[in-house]
Amino acid sequence: MTTTATPLAQQISSRYRGRLRRGDLLETIMYFSIAIVLALFLADGGAIYFLDIKEVATGLGIVAGLIGTDLLLIMLILAARIPILDRTFGHDKVIALHRKLGKPVLYLILGHMVLLLIGYGISSGNNIIAEAIDMIVNLPDMGWAFIATGLMILVVVTSLVIVRRKLAYQFWYAVHLLSYAAVLLALPHQFTNGQLFGEGKMARWYWMAISIATFASIVIYRVILPTALSLKHKLVVTAVDVVGPGVVSITMRGNRLDELTARGGQFFNWRFWAPGLWWDSHPYSLSANPDGQSLRITVRDLGDSSNKLLRLKPGTAVSFEGPYGLFSDAARTTTKAVFLGAGIGITPIRAMLEDARVNPMDATVILRGATNDQVYLWDETYEICVKKSAYLRVLVGHRPRGVDTWLSNEAYTAGESLESLAPDIRNSDVFICGPTAWLDLVVEDARQLGVPEHRIHAERFDF
Amino acid sequence: MRAKSAFAAGVGSAAIVAIGWQAGLGALAQQLPTSTAIASGTTTNASGTTGTTATPSPSASASASASASSGTSSSSSSSSSSSTTTTTTYKDGTYTGSVVATRYGNSQVQVVIKGGKISDVIVLQRQQVDTKSNQISASATATLKTKVLAAQSASVSNISGATYTTQSYLQSLQNALSQAK
Repeated sequence: MTTTATPLAQQISSRYRGRLRRGDLLETIMYFSIAIVLALFLADGGAIYFLDIKEVATGLGIVAGLIGTDLLLIMLILAARIPILDRTFGHDKVIALHRKLGKPVLYLILGHMVLLLIGYGISSGNNIIAEAIDMIVNLPDMGWAFIATGLMILVVVTSLVIVRRKLAYQFWYAVHLLSYAAVLLALPHQFTNGQLFGEGKMARWYWMAISIATFASIVIYRVILPTALSLKHKLVVTAVDVVGPGVVSITMRGNRLDELTARGGQFFNWRFWAPGLWWDSHPYSLSANPDGQSLRITVRDLGDSSNKLLRLKPGTAVSFEGPYGLFSDAARTTTKAVFLGAGIGITPIRAMLEDARVNPMDATVILRGATNDQVYLWDETYEICVKKSAYLRVLVGHRPRGVDTWLSNEAYTAGESLESLAPDIRNSDVFICGPTAWLDLVVEDARQLGVPEHRIHAERFDF
Repeated sequence: MRAKSAFAAGVGSAAIVAIGWQAGLGALAQQLPTSTAIASGTTTNASGTTGTTATPSPSASASASASASSGTSSSSSSSSSSSTTTTTTYKDGTYTGSVVATRYGNSQVQVVIKGGKISDVIVLQRQQVDTKSNQISASATATLKTKVLAAQSASVSNISGATYTTQSYLQSLQNALSQAK
């Protein structure tokens, strides 16, 4: 083990370094986009606003609007499910950044509106309200821009409420579609009223290009690509097998599935063309690594429309969006790996384990279930562990009363810990999938043991 | 993001903004009417008619200056050198001022001298690159005309919020008036 850098280690580390480079490049482009927007403003002599105290509000308002709009387009790009972003950062990280930008963008756009009302009000001697009315009446496209601002407030507020789970997902989704309308309504006023966007100016072309590119990427990756893939592969349900009480595995077959580049652990948004199901799509991870002929998911009845999935009939047509996510072997940074799954969260772990490139004795698998029945796909997982010579630990039973732990009562009283179950965890990639509360406790333990952040890969079961 | 890349992104962004700034300096110098014009405009105003800022209403002063000019024109036939209100007299005629470029568009005026007095200022070009500057320059040039007719010179106070219109208008006017001397 002294000088022999194994091919696997080389392969994993070169892939990982490539991913880091790509990530840094994409992040740099994001920062540059803000810098370019500022540079175009300055190149047009924008600094002049800051020479006269009466025009400072106008200048700041314009800058707030420019940066706000740039970040808003970045938000849309982040939500467009562009494959290179997903492969580089993972769907969850991309969406996390999208969410993080929501409030700052709203503040910048509101700041843009208020500052320009003040700035223009100073020029014309109007108060804010009078100036707002004057602008809506006299300037082209301003009425739409004000409506767009109202829509943006609505979108951000509903998103904050949905996070607290007080709104139905479908309602939030419908409102979120309005954000596209908001951006489309707000775009014209930039070009008709902003002198920076005047005809024949560089900035006009730049902004037109990035606006068109953003909307094109949404249409391509959220509409055209999924539709084309669904039509190409023509998935059909071929088997529905009971795995446990209220849990089924759904197997689907289709045309040329070997050309679909999906890996175990990734998820798709599925739409089953059956009564009561076709109007809504559901995100489920693959529970088996794709073998080029079939795809399989394992679904638990969560009490909503997912209970209809249990009675799905073979022959049902399926359309899909995906594959998405970096919760797969593509996220590996090192040769050793620890996999932790609880309940239905075991199923993606089982799929990625099948796909995992690990040397014998380098992988540790820890499964958790409240009862024996709830260690789903136990037999399949056991077989894969035998085949790959992986360590397997199964913790069954409820957790101890009054203690915040992810362990079972039995394991806890026996003095087990994450370190005792996976001694080499500090040098391993750690993949965790399960209910959020359980998962957070595992992540906390892993951090305390000194597992670096880039090696902790967690898949939460929320959208 | 790795530290090295973050540093590179920061330096790159700063460089992009700096290029924009450098490009903007040229635009700034071009767009600001020459600083001497601004200085002379404001200083003479300070020593001269301070009452112009508190003009009661544009229409009132316009009618007042109109009656004043009609009065002088009627008397100009008998005695053209009997001007008592202003020190400078101009040669009769119509003079076109220079074109002054600003970031919001070009400005150019034509001045009509009758009986040695400024009788009319016609706007040939004003700031119109976008709707907002069109709106601002339309009202500002109307006010400026009133002020100029009252002051009988290009030394009138700035209209706040319409600095570009004021300065470029007065600069073009100054140029036209210099031809009339």
